[in-house]
Amino acid sequence: MIQCTCIVQQDQAADRNRHTMHNALQQFVNDAFKSRAQITWIPVTAGDGFTAAKPSTASIVSMTAPTPLSPSRRKSLLRRLAALWRTSSGCGINEIVAVITDPT
Amino acid sequence: MPLYICNTRAGALDGAAKTRVAQAITDIHCQVTGALASFVHAIFFEASSRWPLEDKTLSVQGTIRRGRSEQQRELIATSIQQALVSCAGVELEHTEVEIRETPASWVLEGGEIMPEPGAEDAWLAAQAARRRPYV
Repeated sequence: MIQCTCIVQQDQAADRNRHTMHNALQQFVNDAFKSRAQITWIPVTAGDGFTAAKPSTASIVSMTAPTPLSPSRRKSLLRRLAALWRTSSGCGINEIVAVITDPT
Repeated sequence: MPLYICNTRAGALDGAAKTRVAQAITDIHCQVTGALASFVHAIFFEASSRWPLEDKTLSVQGTIRRGRSEQQRELIATSIQQALVSCAGVELEHTEVEIRETPASWVLEGGEIMPEPGAEDAWLAAQAARRRPYV
């Protein structure tokens, strides 16, 4: 099981499309790691998220790979993850922070 | 990235205080590291069990790119802790700031893998070049 955490701005695009985002993330994790995702969805109350000290529209999506990744593999997966997020939520490229960590 | 998660006791900070703290965190991070403000995220939660408060009123967990010096990390932590006192009116002993590091290459933001600390100028120039239209 791949732990996946999504910090999203409440009632903004990603949060409004939560079901779609869940399905897209499950598909991504299945394709990338041949595993299921355990998704923790964390909405940020309006007014409580800031980027550059201004109200934020950013989503922060992080997951832990089951095994250490090579730089090229990680880069490829991060790009796919960001593209998926943009396509599924309609957010802009500057509104997604994607993180794929190695297992501890 | 960086990402600063602020967890408070319920009702400890009003909206204006959160705005002041977010501004202070952003300013401190940028002044200490030279990073771009547009990459600094500060997010507030109230009484979240995911980031335990224990006996504190306000805790901040910052995740920054790996590669900053120990002195920089310490300066960020102590400066933010002071800002919590001045911006939020919380007593110093009721605050906690922890700084964690993650490799820049593990993070994609603005459509690109984050640059290593100190390599921001080259990274920005490369981004600008990619986006420059043909003339």
